[in-house]
Amino acid sequence: MSPKKPIQKLLVANRGEIAVRVLRTCREMGIATVAIYSDADRGALHVRSADEAVHIGPSPARESYLVAQRILDAARRTGADAIHPGYGFLSERADFARAVEAAGITFVGPRPESIDAMGVKTAARARMAAAGVPTVPGSAAPVADEAEARAVADRIGWPVMIKAAAGGGGKGMKRCERPGDLPALWQSARREAASAFGDDRLYLEKALDQARHVEIQIFADEDGNTIWLGERECSVQRRHQKVIEESPSCVVDDRLREGMGEVAVRAARAVGYRGAGTVELLVDASRGFYFLEMNTRLQVEHPVTELTTGLDLVRMQLEVAQGAQIPSQDQIVRRGHAIEARVYAEDPARGFLPSPGKITYLRVPGGPGVRDDSGIYEGWIVSPFYDPLLSKVVAWAPTRTQAIERLLRALGEYVVHGVATNVPYLAAALDHPAFRSGEYDTSFCARYAQELVRPADPRLEEAALLAAAIDAHRREREKAEALAARGGLERGPSSSTSAWARLGRARALRGGDA
Amino acid sequence: MSEYVALLDGGRREEPLGVRETAPGVYAVTLRGEVHVVDGYAPDAATLSLLLDTASRAATLDRRGASVRVRVGSAVLPLEILDARRLRTRRAPRPARPEGRVAVTAPLPGRIARVLARVGEAVSAGQALVVLEALQMENELRSPKDGTVVELHVQEGQSVEGNARLCAVE
Repeated sequence: MSPKKPIQKLLVANRGEIAVRVLRTCREMGIATVAIYSDADRGALHVRSADEAVHIGPSPARESYLVAQRILDAARRTGADAIHPGYGFLSERADFARAVEAAGITFVGPRPESIDAMGVKTAARARMAAAGVPTVPGSAAPVADEAEARAVADRIGWPVMIKAAAGGGGKGMKRCERPGDLPALWQSARREAASAFGDDRLYLEKALDQARHVEIQIFADEDGNTIWLGERECSVQRRHQKVIEESPSCVVDDRLREGMGEVAVRAARAVGYRGAGTVELLVDASRGFYFLEMNTRLQVEHPVTELTTGLDLVRMQLEVAQGAQIPSQDQIVRRGHAIEARVYAEDPARGFLPSPGKITYLRVPGGPGVRDDSGIYEGWIVSPFYDPLLSKVVAWAPTRTQAIERLLRALGEYVVHGVATNVPYLAAALDHPAFRSGEYDTSFCARYAQELVRPADPRLEEAALLAAAIDAHRREREKAEALAARGGLERGPSSSTSAWARLGRARALRGGDA
Repeated sequence: MSEYVALLDGGRREEPLGVRETAPGVYAVTLRGEVHVVDGYAPDAATLSLLLDTASRAATLDRRGASVRVRVGSAVLPLEILDARRLRTRRAPRPARPEGRVAVTAPLPGRIARVLARVGEAVSAGQALVVLEALQMENELRSPKDGTVVELHVQEGQSVEGNARLCAVE
């Protein structure tokens, strides 16, 4: 058995909703917590959700959340004995995991060697192929330049996906249809990869059409016991960013699920995996599946698995980090259907441009089967420095249809003012016949782009116009009353007649023709 | 009676509206030739609960000056609401297509990843002029019209503020 010590105090090396998410479980487990924050995040929710908070630098992530030394200093200063990296930032940096362990602090995540093995995507693909895991045809190593990329693409066949060797999360990922588009896309992908990962190496994979993105959540303990917790279907993606995730997948039956689960466990074992991980697979039209990559961290969409299995994956991560054994495969029971919608501060009507700003009003959904994992509050300023994810709204129900209706209902309750959000887009996607039927693939968002950014329902438009008119009228009257009240003292109480008289007077004062 | 005009679809559609408060909290609203009697209650500054006979609709209003994003259910209707008289006075015939010199501005702060056009270059509407990197994503800023690039104020690698004038097409 592992000689690991219990965690007394955990530092969360992240921000936003995932930091809040991890801190919540720590509170439940009685583990003391430390948050870190940049200049822009002094007022962030995660700072208030922790027992201690340490300032780690200026707002740009490369000067704060990406600086391993500052995070280690914060841990030392507060006496934290464990670090949870969340997702993104340093979560998949083997050198960070090594530095944490070298400092005598528990890294809540896989061994650095496993991160290394999966971190360079081309090396991971080669390793998986050697372990008998099917992979998408592509380049065996990072591609040196455009000319080589062209040659590789000609060999594997167009269209191709350009991907970042150090990649993940869709950053630096481009689909290239034809040779003529390659130079521009190649350069763009390089810049994105360099800025997101500090590593501009790229590789190519054949782009599979009518493919579905299905991933398997796996878990392993210190002793090498490895299990799978079911799949998540993540084919609703816009610009390679996941938008809606669900479990189970409509395309996966029990037999396919067993097969994928077994392959995912094999992939994890091949790199001596420990903790929570995700094996991303591409399922083609004939239900063959291929290894895409393994994410050696907790995923954004992990709540979908939590709701269908009833497990708390963060608690399991912390237990594994303290040397506990995970449940056996036959103890894992999945029930019902869960769907997650990612609420972003972005404006679908303006090409999904991020919409930073102050949240002037916030109402969050509640009621049966609804979970809102957010890092925001009314008055919070969504900064332009970080990912504009505001919240993940997740619904659980016994059946898929009920889960769709429930999530639509919850999104109808979700109101954010001050920044534009993609809530109407999410609702349109869930309500789309192709999504409802379950017959969709990774081209869903592109294929139905027009239908998903749709004008408001005419029946609702009438109510909206009535509301706008009444609101304008009420505000005009309030302004007039405020104006009249200021002038009222001079004229004395006799002048306080009806609101209409005051309004008329106020309009006259403004030079109107009331 | 207060008279307003709601501008919809970015100003392409107009809906005249008349509002009269007939009793405290009860409004007679004229819309498309029909008078709707609406019981309107505002539980907070952003919410308006409407009762139309027995039909209950909750609207939330996100205002920025005359611009309002009205939310009913999960539908959002962006509109501008203007005093009808003021609209008449300020109304000048608006060109259907942008004429003269039209600026391309940064929709949000970021870094110029690429400059795709040169001063003097002929461009067509929708052609990408500048690539702005913001929030780790690249956004192409396109020409608002057919014409010639007459101003270019940025170079690759430069950081820009939101609303910064990047270039202009005439």
